[in-house]
Order: sequence, then structure tokens, then C-alpha cells
Amino acid sequence: MFDALMLGNHWNEGAIMQRVFFPPAGLEKPLIGKQADCLDPTSEMLAAYSHKYAITKDPKDRRIADQIFEAILKLERVTGVDGLFARSYNKTDKPLWHEKVLWYNEWHRSTSMPEYRWLGDLSIDKFTSIFYGLGTYWELCADRAHKEQVAQLIDRFVGRIIDDNFKLTDLDGKMTLWGNLCPDLPHQALNSLIMLAGLKVAHKITGKERYSAAYHMLIDRYHYDDDQINSKLLFPKEWRNPGDDYHAARSLYMVMRYEEDPNLLIKYRMNLNRHWHDWKDMEFSFESSIWFIMVYQVLMDENVLNDHRIQTIKDMWGFDRKTRTFNVPQEDGTYKQVVAEEEGTAAAMIRNYWFGRYYNLIDENW
Amino acid sequence: MKTGNHNTTIMHFFSKHLGLLVFYVLGTFITFSQTLPKPPEPPKGMVYVPAGTFIMGSEIGDPDERPKHIASTKAFFIDRYEISNAEFAQFDPTFRFPEDKKSNAAVVTWSQADAYAKWAGKRLPTEKEWEKAARGTDGRMFPWGDTYDSTYVVWDQKSTRGTAIAKPESPYGCYDMAGGVWEWTNDWYQPYPGNQTPMEEYGETYKVMRGGSNFNNQSFLRTTQRYYLLPEDIRAYPVGFRCAKDIE
Repeated sequence: MFDALMLGNHWNEGAIMQRVFFPPAGLEKPLIGKQADCLDPTSEMLAAYSHKYAITKDPKDRRIADQIFEAILKLERVTGVDGLFARSYNKTDKPLWHEKVLWYNEWHRSTSMPEYRWLGDLSIDKFTSIFYGLGTYWELCADRAHKEQVAQLIDRFVGRIIDDNFKLTDLDGKMTLWGNLCPDLPHQALNSLIMLAGLKVAHKITGKERYSAAYHMLIDRYHYDDDQINSKLLFPKEWRNPGDDYHAARSLYMVMRYEEDPNLLIKYRMNLNRHWHDWKDMEFSFESSIWFIMVYQVLMDENVLNDHRIQTIKDMWGFDRKTRTFNVPQEDGTYKQVVAEEEGTAAAMIRNYWFGRYYNLIDENW
Repeated sequence: MKTGNHNTTIMHFFSKHLGLLVFYVLGTFITFSQTLPKPPEPPKGMVYVPAGTFIMGSEIGDPDERPKHIASTKAFFIDRYEISNAEFAQFDPTFRFPEDKKSNAAVVTWSQADAYAKWAGKRLPTEKEWEKAARGTDGRMFPWGDTYDSTYVVWDQKSTRGTAIAKPESPYGCYDMAGGVWEWTNDWYQPYPGNQTPMEEYGETYKVMRGGSNFNNQSFLRTTQRYYLLPEDIRAYPVGFRCAKDIE
């Protein structure tokens, strides 16, 4: 059922929309989203179908993953700039009503695909989504031709970040609001982890020495390896942020499986242990939090799935649909209140399931 | 007491209490008899920023922060804090805000900020004035120095002004010039002299805001960070302001 919802309602030419509104607030097809971001659920679905394909070897599953990957390619192509990704796109030749209401106004008319509009100001959590989703697809699902396309895409994307001194920059040449991975600028410890993980994935996939050199430069000269240990803000307690943990979990999942240097692995484990200090007592308030437990078990090879956590996995529920009132701007400058239904994404839950199945954490018969 | 400390204390005494310029060269005091002008008394809630040069811009930030250069201002006064909701409501009684947010920075458009400043007999600071008030003359990255800690800033816009845990001041005594809310300046978004990076946003469409907010990464809280915004569009950014005032 959740698969059908994602591949139906949320499917935007292969990209998976985070939240969609149904008519009359949406379009004829509900392709818009509350934050209009699509990279998080899109990468989650790509990972989900990559894990699924690794189990089923069903060409239909691979074809769906391929289509999602092609949407990620389009997220780059629509910007018209090599290595610059959109947060989202919509096929429309005029601005949609939600562009000025539900998210900050970073929508652009595409110059490379004139019938599209795209959302800029990429952030490092979306950077994480890209290397996590593409990395998983490359590992488990992509055929040789697609692997090559993944490598070229990652090369353009991460290469551009290095060229810009480890910043995500936008069309205007300025660093995006949340695009700071730069060693010369003050940044959160989490950003150091994300940058290292992104470079590790880029090196693994492209085989290019450039990414290994950048990885070791950030470690040797700028001590990103030490800095990343404190990615998790533990104290004061109110500053703990499970949303940030999700980016850390995806980064640690990628970098710890690819890193072979035992000294660096110790530091990544320190980071993971600091997260575990919070995760072990966490209420599973959103679908990604139970994934933290699974990631910890996979990376540490330690059985932490007790009865409560297993029951939480069994109870996972991705459906979120509610009625809302939207203020829809009219052409005359006034606003009209429209009541419509809004549906959230189930992509993380679907990913959790196939991730758990792939690592034998979830029994097929549950 | 060690000799060095003793001499420092003597020099401090001369300069502070006698209004003299005192230099200590190779064991000999050289005293100039010129009396330093006494800085004017700032209006209530404002601080004094003396005339002179300072280091403006940065070579490590965005292209629009370049080149790092020497800029100059006249002496001016500038508000110690951002204008609060309660203060703004004195000017505009129709301005609405939650009752428990009286001391929070007011989030307003550029026109609202400009109108308030004129009503108060003040004006919005120029970019130069804002940056000098924030970083002083030594080219520091943040109002307090060059290192960052989240306890130094009002990280959450919901917090009242001046409530950063460490409560750092800028060199001239301003609070919250990093974090809290962005702050409007009077200036259009234009390139610095000598800047060679083309940007289509330069011109008289966007106003410059400074200081960063809770919705930004740490680098956006640097004293040199510039950001451009349509003057009447604060939908996506919490933008407040503080006022400056000429010295007669």
C-alpha cells in the first residue's frame, strides 16, 4: 500500500515528493510539497529499491530504482549547471502558488529545460541524501552503465564542492544558507562528518585520487576527523536534534563501511557512541529514529534489537494524511482559503523495511 | 610586582586620568601634552563609534565580501540592541506581537525599519557602519573574536535580545550583532570597490542585511557576511534592525 502511494501520489517523474496536496489546493495531480524538497524521500526510495533489488533480483524493482536515479540526474540537469543540484523541480512554465507561500522564494525558471521550474539553495542534508542514495544504488542495484553514470554524477557534484573550497554554492556564486563544509569558515562538527563521508563515497565510486587527497587534507591539515567526533550535541539536552542525527546516521553508515584505517574508524565509532548515548533511550517519534537503531546494529555488529524495538519496527506506519486549510494567493494579490488534504511521505518507512530485510534485522514473516 | 606590569599600570594611569598620550620607549616615558578629545555622550541605549578606518570585508567568505579593504567612517552612534517589539509598537500601535515577546527583536520590512528610524530621529546604519560597529578595527571574524561557540549568540529567535549565555559585546558595546535576527542596513546591494565578481543581483533592487539569524549556519554570523533581500519580503528571513545616529 505504501509503495503504491509513493509510486502514485508522490511520484514526480521519478522524484518522490515529501508532502503532497490534493485538489483543489494542488494541481490536477498532487505534485507539490510542503517544503517542496524532494531529495530526502527520493534518496530514501532509491535506497529502498536498491536494498529490495539486492534481495529479490527482480528486474521490475531495478527498473523503479533506475527511474528514481534518472530523476536525480534531472535534478542536476534542470539547473543548467554541472554539479549543481535542485532541491526539487516541477514541470510548469509559470510559478506555482506555493512557491511564495510554503517555502522561501528560491524557485527559478530552468534555462536548460524551459518547461520546468526548480528550487535552489541546496543544503548539506540534501548533499547527504545524494551520496547516501546514490552510494547505496551504486553498491546494490545499478548495472554497469548506470554505475558509470553514478560515478560521473558524483564526480561533477562533489568535484564542484571541492572547486568551491568545500561549499555548496548557488547560481549567484554565494554559499547557500546551509552549505558550509569549508575548512576556512566556522561550521558545525556535523558538517565535518558529512564532508568526510561525501568524499569517501566519491572516492569509492569514482576511484579518483582527488577525493582521497581532499579527504586526507581535511583530516591532516584541518582535523576534520577530530572535529566530527562531536557531531552530536549532547548537552544541554534541549539542543539534541534527531533531525541532525539522521544526517549523521546516513553519513556514518556510508563512511564506516568504506573506511579501512583503524585509527579513523575509532574516531567514527566515538561519534556513533555519542549518538548511541541518546538513541538508546529515544522515543521513536518519527520513522527514521528506529532506523538509527538498525544502523547502529549493522555498524557495530551488536544485537540491540530488544522486544520493544522489534515491536516498534513491526508497528512502523508511513501513512500521514490530514485535512488542512491553505492560503492560496490569487492573481489579484488577495488570498483565498482552500481546504484540501495533505499526504506525507512513507519513503523512510519503506527504506527502513528493505534495509532491515537486507541485513536480516526484519523477518519476512513479521 | 614585576617591572612590566608596574609600567603598564603607570601608563594606564597617565592615559586614563590625565588625558595624555604616553609612550614608553627603552625605559623612558615620552609624554605628549595633547589632550584627547572626550567622546560625546551617546543617547540612551546607543554606543559611540569613533571616526576612523577599519578592516572591511573578507577573503575567505563569499565573493561579494571581497576584497578585504580599509574603509573609513565618521563617528556615529548606534543602538546597543536591536529594536524590540515593544519599542516598535510605540511607533506603530497596529504592530502585533505575542504579549510575552515584548523584548524580542521586531521582525519588520525595510520600509518599516526605515520609517521607525526616522520617527526616532535616527537612521538605518550603512553597511560600513554596521560592520565597524560589529568588528571594531582589528578585522575580527565575530563581534567577540575569531572563534565560535553557540553560547555566544542568541541562537533562537524566540529568545529575547541580549540573552546569549556568554553575553558577548562587540568592541564598541553592541549586543547580538551575530545571530538572533538579521539586521537591515540602509544600503543597496552593491559590489565593494575593486570587486571583480559579476552578480546580477547588484544594483538597487535588494537591500543588504547583516548578522545572520537562528536559521543560518555559523558562517553566516560572521561580521563580514552580506546577504541581499527584497526590501519588503521578509517571509523567509527573520530581519530586524538597529538604528544609527549622526553626531552633530
